[in-house]
Amino acid sequence: MGVRLLVLAVLAVALMVVDARFDLLKPARKQASLVLMDAYWITDLPGRLWEGVASQFGSRTELVAENEKLKTENLLLQGRMQKLAALTEQNVRLRELLNSSALVNEKVEVAELIGMDPNPFTHRIIINKGERDGVVLGQPVLDARGLMGQVVELMPYTSRVLLLTDTTHSIPVQVNRNGLRAIASGTGNPERLELRHVADTADIKEGDLLVSSGLGQRFPAGYPVATVKEVIHDSGQPFAIVRAVPTAALNRSRYLLLVFSDNRTPEERANDAAQAQEAEDQKNGTTPIVPATVPKPASATPAAPAAAPAATAPVATPAKPAAHGTHPVKPATTKPPATSAPAAKPPAAPATTRQREE
Amino acid sequence: MASHHSRNLWIVWLTFAIGLLLSVSPLPQFMEILRPLWLALLLAFWSLNLPHKVGMVTAMFLGLAEDVLYGTLLGQNALILTLITFLVLSLQQRLRMFPMWQQCLVILVIFGLAQLVQLWLSALTGNRQPTLALVLPALVSALLWPWISFGLRGLRRRYKIN
Repeated sequence: MGVRLLVLAVLAVALMVVDARFDLLKPARKQASLVLMDAYWITDLPGRLWEGVASQFGSRTELVAENEKLKTENLLLQGRMQKLAALTEQNVRLRELLNSSALVNEKVEVAELIGMDPNPFTHRIIINKGERDGVVLGQPVLDARGLMGQVVELMPYTSRVLLLTDTTHSIPVQVNRNGLRAIASGTGNPERLELRHVADTADIKEGDLLVSSGLGQRFPAGYPVATVKEVIHDSGQPFAIVRAVPTAALNRSRYLLLVFSDNRTPEERANDAAQAQEAEDQKNGTTPIVPATVPKPASATPAAPAAAPAATAPVATPAKPAAHGTHPVKPATTKPPATSAPAAKPPAAPATTRQREE
Repeated sequence: MASHHSRNLWIVWLTFAIGLLLSVSPLPQFMEILRPLWLALLLAFWSLNLPHKVGMVTAMFLGLAEDVLYGTLLGQNALILTLITFLVLSLQQRLRMFPMWQQCLVILVIFGLAQLVQLWLSALTGNRQPTLALVLPALVSALLWPWISFGLRGLRRRYKIN
């Protein structure tokens, strides 16, 4: 019996080491999770059924009231959206004038929470979207109010999300008011984040909104993360103690948003765009343009017409390669601002549709 | 005993499946910390009562299943459950003679030890639990042991599992 224990223990330890260091066991794990992760789904079933029953027997007046409320909310949001469209466009245009890449729209997809991690000391949740739905490792997860966390384990139809408040999680943020950068670390308390190494004299105060700064190359910039709850200046401490409350309802949200952001490097993005431009040119039969990086004023004139019809002609669907194509040409076309204006419109949408193909 | 034809073993596996479900079932926040070690309890009972059918290898497989469910390193819970089964099996002769309260105490000690190993292993993988509150599940499990024991014994008699 002792021998058997020894063999099994050695086997278990070997498995742990292999699992920690190599990717060898990942396929086996995924296969097993196909069957086993149904356990979360099954244990979630009673709650789901109860919700279904409750909605079946919800009184009419309640439903009408809810409908009414949702309608007003929808109206408000749509009103805000109108403004947002104009602002987005303006933002894209300004960014193009600055020659910086547009990071305005990301594609999002709705996922549903199906389970919590049973270990009370870790903050992880299970969602019902997995590798087969296009989820990738490290993908940011939002709820309606702010960032929630990132995907840390992929399974075929489910994935595990590490929440912001887990003790092993940190996220680069900045103060929305003045752009002050900091790192927000989880504390293991679902209602608290702590900002590390904030100087005592830093301009940060209670009620400041912290948004993701996008510096870690993992989270998209500009999503709300937390609001500062208290700033304690303790002369005995080298740094100020800053505590913040996550804006996302980390332990209440049931419906989450998966953000499909552009995870390519700037070079890859430029290359892809250049290729798209080339393909477009060949399709249109125009003469292949001189590489856009050459700052020759003569090359700007053939490049501009090439970009302009491509962006304007296909209005409904195939605008994506054209829009991407305009990016590498940008250095050359910055001279005539008239051409960059129509070309500026599409990037918001295509930037998103493109990632889905990847 | 070994010559006996094994009967109704599927019920044992059914209890293990239910144990797996219970070990991930959602609980209110304050009870998460008290979640009993269902699989360990079931393994302890069945390895005491059917030592020829349920042993360390079973424990290992169940542990691997639990690892997949929990997202821990493959082998972590497997090691813990194997260890628990080993300790139970090596104390088997005495445990069977003990009155219930003494059995509870032994279970408490074994599970407590296992939880400490668990703490050590999770510290190795980088997420160390901040408190010793993780020994609480061992206590809850020990308190549940009489009920689990009576219930499963009744089940075993009724279906004549052996």
